[in-house]
Amino acid sequence: MSDIVLRVEDLWKSFGKQTVLRGVTFTVKRGEVKVLMGPSGGGKSTLLRTINLLVRPDRGRIELEGIEVFPRPAMKINKIRERIGFVFQQFNLFMHLTALDNVRIGLIKVKKLPPEEATRRAIEALQMVGITEDLWHKYPAQLSGGQQQRVAIARAIAMKPSIILMDEPTSALDPELVGEVLKVIEELARRRTTMLIVTHELDFALEAADEIMIMDQGVIVERGTPDEILRNPKHERTRRFIERILRRQERLNTLK
Amino acid sequence: MPGSTVFTSIAPYIKVILDGLPETLLLTFGGFGIGLVVGPILAFMEIYGPKPLARLAAAIEEVIRGIPLLVLMFIIYFGLPELGIRLTPLPAAILAIGIRSLAYQSQIIRSAVISIPAGQWEAALSLGMSPVGAFINIIIPQAFRIAIPGLVNQFTVDLKDTSIAYAIGVAEIFTQAVHVAQVILDYLPPLLFVGLIYFVLTYTASSLASTLYRRLAIPGLGAGGVVTV
Repeated sequence: MSDIVLRVEDLWKSFGKQTVLRGVTFTVKRGEVKVLMGPSGGGKSTLLRTINLLVRPDRGRIELEGIEVFPRPAMKINKIRERIGFVFQQFNLFMHLTALDNVRIGLIKVKKLPPEEATRRAIEALQMVGITEDLWHKYPAQLSGGQQQRVAIARAIAMKPSIILMDEPTSALDPELVGEVLKVIEELARRRTTMLIVTHELDFALEAADEIMIMDQGVIVERGTPDEILRNPKHERTRRFIERILRRQERLNTLK
Repeated sequence: MPGSTVFTSIAPYIKVILDGLPETLLLTFGGFGIGLVVGPILAFMEIYGPKPLARLAAAIEEVIRGIPLLVLMFIIYFGLPELGIRLTPLPAAILAIGIRSLAYQSQIIRSAVISIPAGQWEAALSLGMSPVGAFINIIIPQAFRIAIPGLVNQFTVDLKDTSIAYAIGVAEIFTQAVHVAQVILDYLPPLLFVGLIYFVLTYTASSLASTLYRRLAIPGLGAGGVVTV
């Protein structure tokens, strides 16, 4: 079905003796925003990294828009990765390039766009994430964490990928910078950008997600709409996980 | 006596000493050049090569770094003829300096490359760059900047150690200065003069390098500091 952008079936991955993914299965439809939550060490990051083959799964099956990605990639791995945007926890902007060139480089070197066309598209993407002209020629080290992450998001969306994977995009940010990045991601969600997001931000998940999946010990233990997850968690573990987050947020709110 | 007489006594011989300058420069650029070509190859073998190749590269480096330059030069000039490889003094000296330089340059390049966070590599691949593309577009430009001070330092070491070619009779500036000393029966003036030439050359090289370094400086990339001689 062309409606399904990403199909992951029975995915397994071990590092040495430690099994990190134990048969993960899910799909992401076009325009859908899926949020992946769960305790640290539950395999969320590894799952994202197997999807664009930064980490090679042990077994299972991955399909992107009906094209086999794993186990037998139907096209060159870089061609597959070109169609999967990736936003990292640590931003990973290219340190030797300005904000603008960080967004341009993929368009020029990978998409082979002419420079002017690449610049136009890069600027469009930077404006979309609220990076103003005075920052275009700054280097990553001259930007705040929030600005860096927004440039990283622009770098991903400028490539017009089929899906964007985000690995805890706000976890490395100072608390006061989290909001500006979440706002950008929420805007992408409103524009029906297909995304799979790992995050601990429950408010954001409830607001932006079409479906929340809870992952623990290498399996998806629960999935449902934000409402279902919040009001009626099927598993004791999910309930505890959500309560923990809610308690933390209450504490934060009383502090405010 | 000291003072003005120091240089007046060698004034007629200055040209003789400077006659060695082409040899000195050939030794420097030839030796450093060999290192600049072969050093990165060794470094990449160590970083990206399969285990046996990486081990081999590391072993080559280790062995070279353990042998004094003078010994290396004698092996090449006096030893290799026994194996049928006969080199005249200048090529033999260039080769010795080159071999020594490549071992150190390999280390400088390797530490620059591995100092670049894995995230840079992952981000490049995630954009759809091939490993070669990521290497050329992302890793090299960053590693090069980080390596500049180390490479410049190695250049000045190579430059100064060209004087060791004296031992196999290359007519470079130090050899010339010693010959002048033996003619005028006064060592200090020609040696001070040749020392001054080394200093000027070294200082010029590191000043040029600092300028280059500043020009290429990028905030947060470890560039922009001072290059020390």
